[in-house]
Amino acid sequence: MDASSHLSVVLDLPPAQWHRSAHHTQPLDLPSFLSHVLVFLNAHIANCAENSLAVFGAFPGNSLMLYSSADPVPEHLPIDPDSYPPFVHLDHAISRRIHAHLDALDSDTSAQPSALVAAITKALCYVNRLSTTNAAKPAGTAERDLSILPDPRLLVLSVSPDLATSYIPIMNSVFSAQKLKVTIDVCQVFGPDTVFLQQAAHLTGGSYIHLERRDALLQYLIMAFLPPPSIRKVLAVPTQDKVDFRAACFCHKNIIDIGFVCSVCLSIFCQPVPVCSTCRTKFPIKTLQRLNQSRPHLPSTPNGPGASTPRSNPGTPRMPTGTNGSAVARSISTSATPQNNNAAKPTLPTLSLSPRTVLRRCQTPNAVMYTCPSLPV
Amino acid sequence: MPSLHKPADQEKKNTPHALLPFLQSQSQNTLTRLYQRPSSCLSIFRLLAPLERQIVMNLLWLESAITTSTMMAWVQRDGRKLYEEALANLSRLHILPSSAAKLALNFIFKTSLRQALTGGGTSGSFGVPAEKDDKRSGPDLETLDSFALERWETILHYMVSSGTGQQPTKPSQGVLFLLQRSGLMGNLYGGPLQITSVGFQFLLHSPHAQLWDLLLQYLHLAEERQMDLVEVLGFLFMLSTMELGREYSTENLSTTQKAMLEDLRDYGLIWQRRPNSRRFSPTRLGTTLTSSSPPLPTTTGVGSGTREGFIVLETNYRIYAYTDNPLQTAVLNLFVTLKYRFPNLVVGMITRDSVKKALMNGITADQIISYLMTHAHPQMRKNNPLLPVTVQDQIRLWELEKNRLKSSEGYLYTAFTSQADYELVLNYARQLDVVLWENASKRCFFGSLEGHSRIKEFIERRTQNPNS
Repeated sequence: MDASSHLSVVLDLPPAQWHRSAHHTQPLDLPSFLSHVLVFLNAHIANCAENSLAVFGAFPGNSLMLYSSADPVPEHLPIDPDSYPPFVHLDHAISRRIHAHLDALDSDTSAQPSALVAAITKALCYVNRLSTTNAAKPAGTAERDLSILPDPRLLVLSVSPDLATSYIPIMNSVFSAQKLKVTIDVCQVFGPDTVFLQQAAHLTGGSYIHLERRDALLQYLIMAFLPPPSIRKVLAVPTQDKVDFRAACFCHKNIIDIGFVCSVCLSIFCQPVPVCSTCRTKFPIKTLQRLNQSRPHLPSTPNGPGASTPRSNPGTPRMPTGTNGSAVARSISTSATPQNNNAAKPTLPTLSLSPRTVLRRCQTPNAVMYTCPSLPV
Repeated sequence: MPSLHKPADQEKKNTPHALLPFLQSQSQNTLTRLYQRPSSCLSIFRLLAPLERQIVMNLLWLESAITTSTMMAWVQRDGRKLYEEALANLSRLHILPSSAAKLALNFIFKTSLRQALTGGGTSGSFGVPAEKDDKRSGPDLETLDSFALERWETILHYMVSSGTGQQPTKPSQGVLFLLQRSGLMGNLYGGPLQITSVGFQFLLHSPHAQLWDLLLQYLHLAEERQMDLVEVLGFLFMLSTMELGREYSTENLSTTQKAMLEDLRDYGLIWQRRPNSRRFSPTRLGTTLTSSSPPLPTTTGVGSGTREGFIVLETNYRIYAYTDNPLQTAVLNLFVTLKYRFPNLVVGMITRDSVKKALMNGITADQIISYLMTHAHPQMRKNNPLLPVTVQDQIRLWELEKNRLKSSEGYLYTAFTSQADYELVLNYARQLDVVLWENASKRCFFGSLEGHSRIKEFIERRTQNPNS
């Protein structure tokens, strides 16, 4: 028989957003969403007895592991003669934990945005743990590892709009996913397209789907997200028509069409700055003036007209004003850009780079075209 | 099997499961009745190839049939052939209609598989649990594992030591009959049962393949015994979806299935406290029927804890096997000259004689090599390639030695009157590509059987009018 595969699923479960979804023109409420997802998860387990599964929930303000196929089997569950025992454990564990957690939410926390990134990070950590514990076994050589965890996948079922603050953590997760060879698939179940998750799927070779027929969620899930990469070579999965590659600036967390990039640490800014907030490189004043002059006349709000790419985050909450550049710089220097942070000491401001190249104006690439077969729904 | 060497692993992937050809040979009526049980559908679904499973899944939740072209739009250009093959396989199992313009799953299969995934229904096909017994708790996993291991190794050990004059414990009469019927053992000249060359090959298979080999024979036998095949298969599939360590009730089983309990107990697939007990527990052999996890808890003796491989092979043909298991020692004895035995270690040499003996028994060089690879010690797995190349090559060369002579039928053409005549005929024969051997000084050559009539005709034509 064939090799097993691992699937991690992140469910985005903010009650407010689901309430909106239930009163949409194409209503899809949480219970019916869960029943679709549970059947999909059962289908993954049914594919191969050794397939492993981990399910994470992103709730407002915090995230939680809902189920892992490594969990011990609960003793007290009675056996139902009409269903396969592993399915019963799975369904039972997930619905029980979700309900317990949603009931415990109070009104303060439920107003917070959903901790989707935290859940994604947890899922990646879990995959990492699986691969390292396998490697730590005495019998585990490289060959065996591959057979135990051949192509881990991560499926994100999101209903939240883009959160501009989460750009850097999402990109960090994408980098670690690439390193772990995890494919990130994204299904935007409700709400507008999310730029960041779209990029995450594109960068890890996964597939991004914006759900159009919401009553056919299960069919979408099975056709696009059930096949492991080896099957995707034969049966195509839909990929994006367009990928929105826009980034968020490090200074105000706005999604920008045109940005300015520090040539030392590659930090992105929405306007020319005299000092890079990440690596503290000082830029020559001449460059600043030239760049300021060459700026197209853009309104200061990030969501203004003037962008040709589809707007994806009309409802993005603005950054709290308290976060300044230095706080961001710390968070980046520990994770995202491990480049020449130390090399560019304040005493050696621009190094040998010519002034013309120190702060560059960049336009983010717009779109990549793909073919997409239509779903037979 | 994750422990197999890579090429062997890929080979395995391409070959369909042993049961599928058997299912394909069944009538549509039988299969349709089988598909009525959700547990059977789930198990058959698991036996399918990955691509076939995905196709089934894609079609499972569609209410109406879709056109073949819609589905074709999803197939990558390189995968057309694989896709067509998968469709053909599915239609042979009557899961898909054969060569229709629209694709839709067999209605009964679809309903049952949906029910398996969502739960519900009243079929009870996943096994009705026995009521809690307050006096005695059910068997624990260790009991089940050691029971399965003991039963299974009894069978194998009986086979391997049948020719050696030892007197191992005999398996039950039913098992002996099955071994004989399947051709794994036979009695030459009315003597006691002896292992056959098929049986030797069988011993080197993985436990999973061995189990299915025997079960397939059991299914063939069931057909002859007029047992209802649907009941037999349904029971096996039900076992494979049961939970290890639970007790199930025999109340809801049909008469056929109750009769099977005894046989399956002999093979070690199920455990019962007493032969006529009203409850049974599946063992690991039973619950892993449709998965690829190891069906036996440990294939070495109870004392030593090595779960994976136990064989160390050196470049000097010396073999160290860390085992105290008589069965494994006996299997090694098939192709190794054993030298010393210690409480947990057997040392031997792979020699020309020992390999020749194995080859005589019908074992092939590839089987020896793949057995050594499968059971290689974890320390060996650090090597690349896994086995010393010299030893692998030598085993293959010894096999080739057996095939030094090759016979083919034909005609010897001699007594040509002149060199020119000889060359003329020889050239003609060469054009036909039928010359197997030639000797110019003796003016003779040997042609194969196929070319004879034409050469004869050619010579006759030449003798009648030599000038043309």
